[in-house]
Amino acid sequence: MPEESVYDSLQKEGVSRRDFLKLCGVMAGAMGMTSMPPLEKSGLPSSLDVTEAKSVERIAKAMETQPRLPVIWLEFQDCTGCSESLTRANAPTLGNLVLNTLTIEHHEALSAAAGFQVEEAKQQAMEKYAGQYILVVEGSIPTGEHAAYCTVGGRTAEMILEEAAAGAAAIIAIGNCAAFGGLPKAKPNPTNAASVLDLVKDKAVVNLPGCPPIPEAIVGVITHFALFGVLPELDKLNRPMAFYGKTVHDRCLRRPFYEAGKFALTFDDEGAREGWCLFKLGCKGPTTYNACASIRWDSGLSFPVQSNHPCLGCSEPDFWDGPGFYQGLSAPINRPNATAVGAAAAAGVVAGVAAGAANKAKKKQANEKEE
Amino acid sequence: MMQNPTFIRGPFFQAALLIFVAGMLYRLVRVLMLGWSKDNIPPMGSKATGVTQSYLKGLLIWPFIPWVKNTFSKNPVIYLAGGLFHLSLFTIVFFGAPHMLVFKSLLGFGWATIPLPIVDWMATAGIVAMIALLIHRLTNPVLKLISGLPEWLNWLFVFLPMITGYLMTHHLFLPYEKIFGLHVLSVSVLLIWIPFSRISHFMFYFFSRTIHGQEFGKRGVKP
Repeated sequence: MPEESVYDSLQKEGVSRRDFLKLCGVMAGAMGMTSMPPLEKSGLPSSLDVTEAKSVERIAKAMETQPRLPVIWLEFQDCTGCSESLTRANAPTLGNLVLNTLTIEHHEALSAAAGFQVEEAKQQAMEKYAGQYILVVEGSIPTGEHAAYCTVGGRTAEMILEEAAAGAAAIIAIGNCAAFGGLPKAKPNPTNAASVLDLVKDKAVVNLPGCPPIPEAIVGVITHFALFGVLPELDKLNRPMAFYGKTVHDRCLRRPFYEAGKFALTFDDEGAREGWCLFKLGCKGPTTYNACASIRWDSGLSFPVQSNHPCLGCSEPDFWDGPGFYQGLSAPINRPNATAVGAAAAAGVVAGVAAGAANKAKKKQANEKEE
Repeated sequence: MMQNPTFIRGPFFQAALLIFVAGMLYRLVRVLMLGWSKDNIPPMGSKATGVTQSYLKGLLIWPFIPWVKNTFSKNPVIYLAGGLFHLSLFTIVFFGAPHMLVFKSLLGFGWATIPLPIVDWMATAGIVAMIALLIHRLTNPVLKLISGLPEWLNWLFVFLPMITGYLMTHHLFLPYEKIFGLHVLSVSVLLIWIPFSRISHFMFYFFSRTIHGQEFGKRGVKP
């Protein structure tokens, strides 16, 4: 099976050369490619290394020569929202490409089979493609004595991940839960949830955070690895720069209102109706790195801020534990409660009275001496 | 700690706020316990009128005709740069949108704010004024003589929040969230420092104005 190229299998499905080239163009866009990765690293034939070649041609060549890539998709403490996101990728052919052609060998939610059958199929796929497959992880992993909070087929998520990671060529942590721990890791973290990067230290891990991540980002990264054999350029949190290089605030369509000081103060005031900036309603856009404002959702239809809701910051670590979704971005994360303020005030007053009394005694003494 | 803005924006800032509250109350009680001087002989004029006049003149008259005052003609740099710095700081701290949101989250109510470009110009003016004041302090022989470590620290701890805030709004040098952390860190340091330094004059200014106003109002003794 892996000997068959992506183009071969598409041809079998009746995709014309014209449609194939169109698809390559869409993919170049989806991968956010303005420049190509260095060829020597990707292990492609050197005949491809034509510097003037446009990215679309490169992708077409790669799809004609590269074997299909098996993907194993694991779900742990998740809501399947990230899989749902993938099935709504911008171009239908593109989602189809990842779901069918690139061979998702194992995906619990999308699998027709169930029970031990599907477990067995997974084991076979992992043996057959050892060292070649992409491992996609969705959801966080409970660890330590709480590992039993997530088990599949009688084994804990921790064990399943360890086994699957060993034979993976690369790992993609999809969604905030897999990338940073997400909702399960929010205080007080009852399941002792961890992210993929917390547990897997010896493999290349790409984080695609978001709740869910933008489907174009999922498709873009999987196809990038499938075609070029290397991962795209990553930032400090292992997120692909092509999608997570700019903040939501940077590209926001309401940015001019921020600069002009025009803010919506409630969700039904004049500012909200006029489409003014949502900063005062708690928008986390300025600290959130994601492509929502440029790629948008549902085929570029809209994104939260455009639909009059502040950005929650779902592609950033620990976004559940911030000052609150509707508190300003600048608001302190911990607000002192009345008891703490009272105790501090009392301590101040007591210390003040003590110092004042000492001063008084000193004054009295000095006066007595003078007399 | 620099790597973790969440810690700075959370527990560290909270601790700084509590230290600020405790420290300011400590200073206030200590000063109040020094006692108010008694009039051994009843004064001729009204002390209340003196206090009122002193505040009205200080806030509404002298700032608009500064040249009649010695403070201005003898030290124009201090008067102008100092005035500009105070105005800039007051405007930005209370009427910059992100700052108002901090107060709103702590107090539960908010107020109108000023557009970013105006705040930005005020910030630039404030920073330039602070640098002018530093140069003045470094070059003026008398000021140099009376400047010890606390005075230099006063300048530094006030300047750091201003410069980090400016870098943050202009997206310079570091990623936004890192400078955000540094900004909150510098503000926290300032909050801890204020009660134990002369920056506490924002509170004690009102004591001196009141006491002086009352003295002005006495106008001799009743015959």
